[in-house]
Amino acid sequence: MRMAIQGIGVSGGFGRGVEALRAALQTGTVEVQQGCVERNGGTDIFPAYRASIDGLDEFIPKRALRRIDHFSKMTLLSACLALKDAALLEGDCSRMGVVIASGYGALKTTFDFLDSYLDFGYSCSSPTHFSNSVHNAAAAHVSIQFKATAPSLTVTQFEMSVPSALLSAQQWLAEGRVDQVLFGAIDEYCEVLRYCRKQFFGLGEQGPLQPFSFDKQSAVVGEGAVFFVLTRADENAAYGCIDTVTLGNHLVCPVKLPQDDLLIIGADGHKECGRWYAQAFKGRETAAYAPLYGSFPAAVGFDLAVAALSLRDRTFYASPELSGAATSVVTLHRKLAEEKLVCLKFGPGGDYGLVRLSI
Amino acid sequence: MSAAVPIVITGLGCLCGAGMNLAECLESMFRNERNPHPPLRFSTDHPVSYPVLELRDEFRLPLDDQETVYARTSQLALAAAFEALADAGWDEESLRGKRVGVCIGTTVGCALNCDDFYRAYKDGVDPEMGVIERFLRSNPAAVIARQLKLDGPNQTVVNACSSGTDAIGLGASWLRAGACDIVIAGGADELSRVTYAGFSSLMITDTEACKPFDIKRKGLNLGEGAGMLILESEAVRGAKKARGYMLGYGSACDAYHLTAPRPDGAGLKQAMYEAFAAAEVTPEMISFVNAHGTGTPDNDRVESRVLSEVLPDVPFVSTKGYTGHTLGAAGGIEAVFTVACLRRGELPANIGFSAADPELSGAPVIENTRIDGNIAMSESLAFGGNNAVLILGKGDA
Repeated sequence: MRMAIQGIGVSGGFGRGVEALRAALQTGTVEVQQGCVERNGGTDIFPAYRASIDGLDEFIPKRALRRIDHFSKMTLLSACLALKDAALLEGDCSRMGVVIASGYGALKTTFDFLDSYLDFGYSCSSPTHFSNSVHNAAAAHVSIQFKATAPSLTVTQFEMSVPSALLSAQQWLAEGRVDQVLFGAIDEYCEVLRYCRKQFFGLGEQGPLQPFSFDKQSAVVGEGAVFFVLTRADENAAYGCIDTVTLGNHLVCPVKLPQDDLLIIGADGHKECGRWYAQAFKGRETAAYAPLYGSFPAAVGFDLAVAALSLRDRTFYASPELSGAATSVVTLHRKLAEEKLVCLKFGPGGDYGLVRLSI
Repeated sequence: MSAAVPIVITGLGCLCGAGMNLAECLESMFRNERNPHPPLRFSTDHPVSYPVLELRDEFRLPLDDQETVYARTSQLALAAAFEALADAGWDEESLRGKRVGVCIGTTVGCALNCDDFYRAYKDGVDPEMGVIERFLRSNPAAVIARQLKLDGPNQTVVNACSSGTDAIGLGASWLRAGACDIVIAGGADELSRVTYAGFSSLMITDTEACKPFDIKRKGLNLGEGAGMLILESEAVRGAKKARGYMLGYGSACDAYHLTAPRPDGAGLKQAMYEAFAAAEVTPEMISFVNAHGTGTPDNDRVESRVLSEVLPDVPFVSTKGYTGHTLGAAGGIEAVFTVACLRRGELPANIGFSAADPELSGAPVIENTRIDGNIAMSESLAFGGNNAVLILGKGDA
């Protein structure tokens, strides 16, 4: 069943809101921030795409946000922006399902909870950190905020979180369980994540992020949240429609890309996944936008937002970083005719998610 | 919403504190045995020792080095999945070429609960990355799909304590939509020092064996395990006999509080009525309920209120006295028990219950109880305000 995209809310390294994402697509540039970790007497400075939560208090009073962590604040901000974009911010959300996809969940709060007992003993474990570290806490905050009493789902499956969760959103709409789905994809940066990536990838994460250099580790850590308001496609779509969602494993059964579709690949500078893209896209007109928002599992949600924006703007935006790119990579913005777009994301083991969109 | 086509259940598998497979679990539960004890797999400096229900024995998977390959939650998921697949007559070879989906609920299985690693990091040591590598290899649904070389949708649901119930409902909907021919669905979770510390910080764990629905209930006992069902399309099932049927699923969110259930139980009622409608059954057709019944004051109060209102006089039981609260696995394990009890025509006693709470509207079964009827309900309530309900039918095998 087709799903219509009625609203989008984004917050990432490029800024907040659809206009900020469009501006990044048009210029192909984003000012990458710096992360800084001080540990063992040394200072580690590195590029990082960080998301701001400025402006959340336009939607939710500061007092109501006191015990809510950064992960859920990012979630709430993008959810509010999406509902505003769909003119549903003040509407009845009792028939709106909430579906959230995250590769890792609220990492910072998970470690904050460990801090509470490692620093002060088990009898001082923090109930607030514990309850906010549970993976569906962000979805709960969204449901509470908007009085969304319909089904709620959180999916955590690394790179496949977004396509997998989309399957359920699609099914809920098809079965008539809900009238809308507020669908979000979120991941956050934390200091321990930097440590892990440094241990795994050494100095390979100093930027720039080069998605088409498939055999080179060039990922740059990112964070952000993107939300969509989805309805059945019998309503006019503000941004276009999600036609199909497919999951599989390239090793068991090679991915079949629809003929003539334009391809947006989720390549984000991870060498381990790069080899799968190299096999799959074979001369097809292709773009990759990770250099605008960085590398994190839920970033495939941002690829979907770019695809939706491209459909609305009738423009296939140029890839922002072309190092290592084959000739079929789109280097200049060009008008979209009737082509369909397909977002392809690979995990390191060859598992893939394929989301096809059209006007 | 539209009515749901019944989905056939062809295989069941589970392991938990009550037993190392379904037969052992049923045997010990109907003998009314349980064995809560202080955790043996980890220690803390907490002044109070809360009993847990750990697996009674070690288990071995047909893997070269199961301990280093996958985290314990995924090992549990695989063990239950292998049992369920064997029960349904499938093996890796015979699944080849079939469209097989995997939908698994968990909590610990997706959390970076690596406190030894993090302690070393905080201490300025550069900890080895083995535990992180194992975490990254151990997403439960992906592990089952990878291990069995499956090509189909897979999803790991992290809806806290309703994850397993939700996973079964969502997996069944893939079959109805024609997205696959077979689904391995259920839940898995290991005992962890992190959740042990977390639940004790919330002051909802009992210092003794838990007492669901009892007047002296003080909280839950944590447990671990996995419960899996094999769901099949009619086309694939052929002449195979049914262990049971997945008739309907409903879910709803309280939108009320991060950890406490909504006092009037509106979300749970909404989930129940959605499940009834999907299954095209009326409350009168329900022969028993496998309740969430954690033994916490709040949960049992809300649940008994809703049960007495929607399903008055329908017998109900919490099996958490035998298994502990296995979090993301609970819905999977309890769905397996529900189908098994329908087949057996009998419910185990609600262990731990000895005196009714006048504040609660009903009481669970206090002894092993014969049941008639072909339809039962299993329900889960969760942090985040999630409520999930399955309507399950009796099979012919």
